[in-house]
Amino acid sequence: MKPERIMKCDRFIKTLSYRRLGWLWLVALAFCAVWLGWMLRQGLPADTDLTALLPADRQAPLIEKADRELGRGFENRFLLLLGDDDRVATTQALGRSLQQLVDDGQLAGIDWRELDLADADPHEWMGPWRYRLLTPQWQQAIDTDGGSTLVDPALRQLFSPTARPNPVADPFGLLDAWLSRLPQSPVGAADGLLTLDRSHQPGNQKWSVLIGELDGSPYDLPMQSALHTTLEQFQQQHPDAELLRSGLVFHAAAGARQAKHEMSTIGAASLLGVLLIIGFVFRSPRVLLQLMVPLLAGSLFALTLTLGIFGRLHLLTLAFGASLIGIAIDYVLHLQCDRAIEGRGFRLRRLLPSLTLGLISSVIAYVAQALTPMPGLRQMAAFAAFGLIGAWLTVVLWLPRFTLHASPFTARLATGWWRLCQPRWRLSPWLALVGAVVLVIVCALRLTSDDSLELLNPSPAALMKNEARVQQLLDRDTGSRYFLVQAEDTQALLARLDTLDGALDQAIGEGLKIDYQSLAGSVPTAVEQQANLARVRKLYGTPLDELIQRAGLSAEVAAKARARLEQSTPLTLAEWLETPLGSLQQRLWLGETANGGVAATVVISGARDARVDKALQALGESLTTPKASIEYVDRVSRIGELLGELRRHTAMWVALAMVLMTLALVARYRRRAWRVIVPPFGATLIVLTAFAVTGVPLNIFNQLGLLLVLGIGLDAGIFNVEHARRPSAWLAITLSTLTSLLAFGMLAFSATPALHYLGLTCLIGLASVWALVPWVRPADAYPTHSSPRQFSRESEHG
Amino acid sequence: MLLRQLLISLLLWVPLASIPVSAQAFDLDDLQRQLAATPSVAGRFEQQRELADLDSSLKSQGTFIFERGKRVVWQLETPVEERIELTPQAITDGSGEAAPPGGEQVAQLFLQLLEGNWQALESRFTLELSGDRDAWQVALTPKEAALRERIAEITLRGDRTIDNLDMRTPDGDRLEVRLFDQHPLNGS
Repeated sequence: MKPERIMKCDRFIKTLSYRRLGWLWLVALAFCAVWLGWMLRQGLPADTDLTALLPADRQAPLIEKADRELGRGFENRFLLLLGDDDRVATTQALGRSLQQLVDDGQLAGIDWRELDLADADPHEWMGPWRYRLLTPQWQQAIDTDGGSTLVDPALRQLFSPTARPNPVADPFGLLDAWLSRLPQSPVGAADGLLTLDRSHQPGNQKWSVLIGELDGSPYDLPMQSALHTTLEQFQQQHPDAELLRSGLVFHAAAGARQAKHEMSTIGAASLLGVLLIIGFVFRSPRVLLQLMVPLLAGSLFALTLTLGIFGRLHLLTLAFGASLIGIAIDYVLHLQCDRAIEGRGFRLRRLLPSLTLGLISSVIAYVAQALTPMPGLRQMAAFAAFGLIGAWLTVVLWLPRFTLHASPFTARLATGWWRLCQPRWRLSPWLALVGAVVLVIVCALRLTSDDSLELLNPSPAALMKNEARVQQLLDRDTGSRYFLVQAEDTQALLARLDTLDGALDQAIGEGLKIDYQSLAGSVPTAVEQQANLARVRKLYGTPLDELIQRAGLSAEVAAKARARLEQSTPLTLAEWLETPLGSLQQRLWLGETANGGVAATVVISGARDARVDKALQALGESLTTPKASIEYVDRVSRIGELLGELRRHTAMWVALAMVLMTLALVARYRRRAWRVIVPPFGATLIVLTAFAVTGVPLNIFNQLGLLLVLGIGLDAGIFNVEHARRPSAWLAITLSTLTSLLAFGMLAFSATPALHYLGLTCLIGLASVWALVPWVRPADAYPTHSSPRQFSRESEHG
Repeated sequence: MLLRQLLISLLLWVPLASIPVSAQAFDLDDLQRQLAATPSVAGRFEQQRELADLDSSLKSQGTFIFERGKRVVWQLETPVEERIELTPQAITDGSGEAAPPGGEQVAQLFLQLLEGNWQALESRFTLELSGDRDAWQVALTPKEAALRERIAEITLRGDRTIDNLDMRTPDGDRLEVRLFDQHPLNGS
């Protein structure tokens, strides 16, 4: 940006008429408002799922699908465990009050009575398939001696008072044997309630189980608060009852409550701080309003264009993007400080180059980010860049037209403050370089990084403990570890699953403390089903005759039973998944894949440590064949890897942006460029060194904070050099770092890890920017803009 | 039995005639108290299962021990030997194997019936008591449709103890259990 070009630009603006441009910008904003309203007519199309921020993992859309399938139950449902001495009465009370929520339309359903889960009897719908389903023990029994050892147990079953014998359809009780092998829900019925009986475990009890089904999103606020109120009321009325909660809705609600709480403490404190400071300096409430206008206009502009381009918006984009627009407060403060002090002598032309350069350098950084393959970063960068441009246009086109009552106090304050902050000596470029090298070395040696999933988990520890307790009581897997099995067709897949199950059984037999859930346990391959049918035919020979005769039944019964056998049909996977029992396993089935094959998961539960992970990983690799792959997926570590990738990408692009900025600055400032660079880069290095020394690991969120520090630091650097002898610039820099410190640095006190790290970075970084600026201030002003009048006046103060 | 009934009727002749309502005042609570008076019983049983699509029926017999609130031991003697123990938590057979899924619910129902645990049964059945304390009958019909698909009606008959259980299913099956030679267990 050559000065001559700016002058040309300036003249061009004049010819187009400055006023007309202002109106044009107002029309553009009005258009944005209408467009935004139209796009939001059905609510904000927002993503909350973290994975939506990450690149569409080209190698693993199946893993994403598996994660979705396995997570669905946790999202759409919630589960309560209630333990109390007077269990029946308290459960009924809670069940009824939750039923009230169902009646009010807040919940889709609530199951807690014993009959709520009474599925149709499996004996009714498993009928024709039962002759093809045999447990390994039964297979062995028939293979050994034709099945004569099975006669006595069958007789006992026929005459048990509690059995439901059916000598024609199933005299041997094939189906009962098969069903007892399937994974059974630990939830049973007792006292008319859905019950989890853990009373045989020491120190444990009988728990009532209440399963709620959500009508919509777990993030729905009215539903969350209705549910929360109901449960809180219940706990107040029954202080002795122990209530355990599990389900995404509780975590979402806790997050929302925490956000609300912090908004009213941290948020209120920082807002109050900003109001006090601005009010103190400008002595005019109007300045406060004028401070907000560019930020609001920028946000409107950014929200509209980003939504228009991307179609959707991630909530994290909105949060961080809106924070980054906060840099725009620099433009307002520089303009207003200058106006307040200069009064009628104010000229926009004098400030325009610095303002433009500040905008361009920040936007360059975001454009670099927008080129990354990370959709999350692209969205965030676009949002911040549009926001800054919008705010900048508003500052430049509108603010000078608003009247400002310049208080003489502001000018006095600026001068006094300027005097107070004169450094005794100035930093030399060589000393700055040595310092930078030292800091870089410390960072290189000590800086660590952390990409664990916990960073994203804002849930309070008590709720996490609750959740873990429920999972443990229910023996439930969290669906976060699984084998992803692919094969060319369903039969091949079932065979692969069966092989995997065999290998897992063997590993478990050898001491691996895990359990698994697999579709192969429910649906044998067609070949095995045929072999089973052949076995049952053998069983229906002499052993059947013996059974019928000993039971005192007529020989006709045997003939009828054999006739039934001939009606047997094979059980297909599709049919199984449609049955009430099979529907519980639907989450394991992924269906057809993009490459024409089919896929399913085998979910692992139980012990979790590095040794188990390694064993399972090796197991998957050893069983993978060219046609069928078996891959072990650990969702927790996978998301950690993705977060790490996101972090490394941001770091790389930020570094690149810094190089580009340096080049642009060197082009304008030549030998003075280092003075502009020191505040932003120096502050970045100080933050990183502070983290390195105190052992705070680097993560994606403190890196996003660094972007903010860079932006504000750069503006400070530019104004510090461009307007080196002007007290107004130093006042504006002070105010902008101070207000940003209040707005973002205060987030360091947030309990949400993501916000805490962002805030901590801003706290250290912005303080460093402010502290560095005076030391690199040039002894004389930048030659282009210092009129003799200014120069003489400023030299008085200096 | 008949003699005793006659004797009681004679003794109570006047009050009975004058206040005929008192015969009807025998309600489920009274019956439960009456049954609870003999906490543990042992005896013999005869079980007959008639299946709708079969001409012949499944007959078995054996002995039983009933410990109120604790368990029922069902000792099958013919046609096969088997010991079945029902507790509120589980059914276990001779080999200690667990029952097929859903078995606990049947076991619970069976226990509740033998105990005359009306409070528990009332949550799922409509109860109708007829007769008097020496020859009563309770008819149970399921309230919920889901249960009506499996059980049409259950009838319990007895005097000091439960003597007969008759369960019919909608598809025409019938389970009849006769308990006899009942005597209180020592130490109860």
